[in-house]
Amino acid sequence: MGIRFQNVTKAFGNTRVVNDLSLEIADGEFVVLLGPSGCGKTTTLRMLAGLEIVTTGDIYIDEERINDVQTQHRDLAMVFQSYALYPHMTIAENIAYPLRVRKLDKQERTKRVNEVARMLEIEALLDRKPRQLSGGERQRVALARAIVREPRAYLMDEPLSNLDARLRVQMRGELKRLQHQLGTTTIYVTHDQAEAMTLATRVAVMKHGRLQQFDTPLNIYNHPANRFVAEFVGSPSMNFIDGKIDGGVFVSESIRIPADREDATQLTIGIRPEHISVFTRPQNGAIPATVYVTELMGNETFVFLSVGNNRLIARAPADFRAEVESPVWLQIESDKAHFFDTQTGLSI
Amino acid sequence: MKHGFLKYGFLVVALVAALAPVYWMFTISLKSEVDHFAFPPPWFTFTPTLEHYYDAFVTRSFGQYLITSAIVAVVSTLFALVLGTLAAYALARFRLPYDLDRRLSLWILSTRMFPAIVTAVPLFLMMRDLTLLDTKASLIIVYTSFNLPFVVWMMRGFFDEVPRDLEEAALVDGDSRLGALVRVVLPLVAPGLAATAVFCLIVSWNEFLFALVLTQTDASMTLPVGIAGRVTQYEIKWGVMSAAGAVAIVPILVFAMAMQKYLVRGLSLGAVKE
Repeated sequence: MGIRFQNVTKAFGNTRVVNDLSLEIADGEFVVLLGPSGCGKTTTLRMLAGLEIVTTGDIYIDEERINDVQTQHRDLAMVFQSYALYPHMTIAENIAYPLRVRKLDKQERTKRVNEVARMLEIEALLDRKPRQLSGGERQRVALARAIVREPRAYLMDEPLSNLDARLRVQMRGELKRLQHQLGTTTIYVTHDQAEAMTLATRVAVMKHGRLQQFDTPLNIYNHPANRFVAEFVGSPSMNFIDGKIDGGVFVSESIRIPADREDATQLTIGIRPEHISVFTRPQNGAIPATVYVTELMGNETFVFLSVGNNRLIARAPADFRAEVESPVWLQIESDKAHFFDTQTGLSI
Repeated sequence: MKHGFLKYGFLVVALVAALAPVYWMFTISLKSEVDHFAFPPPWFTFTPTLEHYYDAFVTRSFGQYLITSAIVAVVSTLFALVLGTLAAYALARFRLPYDLDRRLSLWILSTRMFPAIVTAVPLFLMMRDLTLLDTKASLIIVYTSFNLPFVVWMMRGFFDEVPRDLEEAALVDGDSRLGALVRVVLPLVAPGLAATAVFCLIVSWNEFLFALVLTQTDASMTLPVGIAGRVTQYEIKWGVMSAAGAVAIVPILVFAMAMQKYLVRGLSLGAVKE
């Protein structure tokens, strides 16, 4: 179901947690709200769920304005960060709760509960209580409770953040499959850019309550709208160097990068770590640098570099070896560089 | 060993101190009047008799008092629990303008801060004007209002312990506010509710002052007033009073024991991941 935020603002006292947010989500999309903590992404989700009152602006589901519709009548399903399982009920009762509230008869309830339990492979847990379950199992139950009926949309508030790294990656994949299977509009809140990149059809990056960019993961990565988005998405983060453009060349101290741009006295260049190649021998036109430290990740090596006063990170192959403080030479793929206004941070 | 002796020593002392009056009352209720005043008192060796029980519950109206007490205590406890729980939930969950949620809580508590006797005369006059003197209704109203602040404050504390996520989940799942309260929140605060209920029932069951002021007739009198009424100008009916007292203990004892399993059960364990 299509969801539309129109100039939505949420204020707590004088603090605007969400500021003039406009967002249009198409039917069947998987939209991830991404941002650091305190950026207003959870508040946005809670406004959609009806758990927070919209201060100004309107929210529409299928062109129906839902600002004044009570939570229970919005027909949404939500997975909470804490899972919020009802501790006094068995797993089966937990999953059946939304159906029980809707007065479905017992037979139908049992049938539907068994269906989703099979889908999520939690059939063996149905008679247990939430406290007897592990974190990953609880997460599945919370998910089962959401998908047991067919709501207009799923809302997920950092559903994977309480899981350990391995389980998180596994559940991430399952979530993606599940959404593909069900085709229901999903709004997913996270501060983990990897989750955003892998799950979303479109990512909405937020900061200080304001929407920074709303686009496909690939466009967010390749064409960040501003420096914040560029820095937040991608790991390790993009490198930023302040400098100027002089005669078609970006200049900052000893760094010189060809730039097909008009002269500018002050701007910031952004280069992703994978667009910097590190060599242990001098190369033609390469920039001399010093190794600050290297981090072997197994399949690749992160090389932290000093170039004058600038600190850069480069991605190198796993077999790259260089001592701390040893000299290296850098080649930068200048056509992959991003340029930002140093003052406003906007992409230029 | 020494440690164990000390531990049990203290327990025995505490137990004797607590139970001695009960034992005394119970034996008095079973002794004939002659044995009441024998010295040294026959602790264990006396011929038990049920004459005082017969006197109290058949000849006199103690059966009636018992029923009145039960109705007043149970109904006022129910009212106090229902009203107080709803009020406590509202105060625990909703932020009211002008800081009213905090202020209201204090105002509610303030009604417990003056001695009960202060309100005795005003309440008597009010009940007289409402023609509720000598009725169970008057006692139910008064006990409900006196138990309310206690219920509100107790339950508010328990509600604060329940994670909000649970109710929000229930709301999103399609339940109403009241439905979420009944189906999700109340089961989690059941131990608190049980403890509160026990306390309210004990207070109402034992209440003496207002029962004395507001009820005079046999049909409206509660057990404590009835018992105290056996101390008269001419005689003190120890046997009858003890027999009635022994019976008065039983319902509360049974209720408290029934509630015990709720009292010890853990609160919202496993509700949210810690």
